[in-house]
Amino acid sequence: MVSGAILSDIKLAAELSPRTQRAIAEKAVQVDYMPGIELYQQGDPPSPLHMLLTGRVKLYRQSRDRCQILALPANGDSIGAESLPTGGTSPYAATTLTQVRALVISTVDLQVLLDELPDFQEAFLRLITERLKQFVTLVHDLAFRDVTSRLAMVLVARAEVEGRPQDGGVLFDRLLSQQEYADVVGTAREVVYRTFKRFEDDGLVSMTRRHILIRDLDTLRSIGQQESR
Amino acid sequence: MHPHTIPRVTIQDLRRIPAFETLPEDYLSTLAAVMVTRRYAPGQIIFLEGEQSQSLWFVLDGRVKIIKQSESGRVQGLCMMDRGKCFGSCPLFSMSHNPATAEALDNVTLCVIPADTVASLTKRDPKLVRVLTHIYSQRLQHLARVSEVLGAWTVGDRINDCLLTYASHADGAEGCVALTHERLAALAGTVREVVTRHLKRLEHHGVIRSESGRITILNRDALRPPCSRNESQLISM
Repeated sequence: MVSGAILSDIKLAAELSPRTQRAIAEKAVQVDYMPGIELYQQGDPPSPLHMLLTGRVKLYRQSRDRCQILALPANGDSIGAESLPTGGTSPYAATTLTQVRALVISTVDLQVLLDELPDFQEAFLRLITERLKQFVTLVHDLAFRDVTSRLAMVLVARAEVEGRPQDGGVLFDRLLSQQEYADVVGTAREVVYRTFKRFEDDGLVSMTRRHILIRDLDTLRSIGQQESR
Repeated sequence: MHPHTIPRVTIQDLRRIPAFETLPEDYLSTLAAVMVTRRYAPGQIIFLEGEQSQSLWFVLDGRVKIIKQSESGRVQGLCMMDRGKCFGSCPLFSMSHNPATAEALDNVTLCVIPADTVASLTKRDPKLVRVLTHIYSQRLQHLARVSEVLGAWTVGDRINDCLLTYASHADGAEGCVALTHERLAALAGTVREVVTRHLKRLEHHGVIRSESGRITILNRDALRPPCSRNESQLISM
């Protein structure tokens, strides 16, 4: 059991009635994970619900030697249990990118909560439709934008959400390796390397081992919005 | 051309929809009373991407393709909905505009719940929320797969996957695909020339037989996507 107040930081639970929040808090367990821990695998039975208090996770699908990163949930987001309503298997895997602190609810407890609390059932549906919207945008980008545009879009989105204004631009943690950036935009590592290099040569970004500084957000945004012919 | 509307939906119609399987008779009867049936001819647009979303649609008969279109007119197939499947935005939340276009692939019969009716029904009884959670959870699983197909699969694998998806089994055990190379290219996210080259290679390896406007699948296993087949079954391209 955790304190009900902690749920105000979780989008899924923040708007729920005090009674529902208490019921969720009674079933939730706080767990800390190190970076690189697989929370659940693609094809697993429905996974527990993880409500992220701190840290970052990647959701991805793997086939043969290729990987497609689908989303990068952060603190306040909830992941897992996506296949609980259908009883199917997890449609993707989740691995921690940083240290993560999460509130975890087992699938058995989650099912009971969903059955007994209509406002939680509706919030859970909202969670699924929000993720669905993200995937529709991802499909659009993969289908109609080229790698340069997709990478620009990823950097702009991260700058807008996580960026800290600095001298000369907006700074955020690099978070992903070049291979992982390639897995986000659906290409090979070499292509991402060349695209980052071009962005640097054009004065749009500067990169260090740990950080990315966006020097020209407007130009990067305009590159990101271009659809390939 | 306007869709042909037949006002009555029966409980028997709703029993053919898997998402409604767990609903009791009295709830099905409530749903049947507020739903209408519509018919569409092949090629007819059911709704357009970007339009205000007004309904939740269920396929009673036929097939509907869901596509996305770029500003320059390029088309990407998202999925094909056949009997019992549901499509359309979730009417309860902010998905107020259709995120994709729906087009009848053949003669289609649909039954429809207007969006405002969904909202009032869920307020009275949360059973429909459970049904919607099931539907959108399934769709999430499908779109995760589509993202992987577009981001991580080769063009050849994408074309093979479309052949399997759009194969009709009416004319034979192995299945026939009645799509032009142009439409197949749109569905697989590539161009016609690539599809033509790939189909020639498949034909050379005895996987398909291609005649004008019709592709017959001779070896389904050889077309299986990378996540479900054994490496040894891959066709050497």
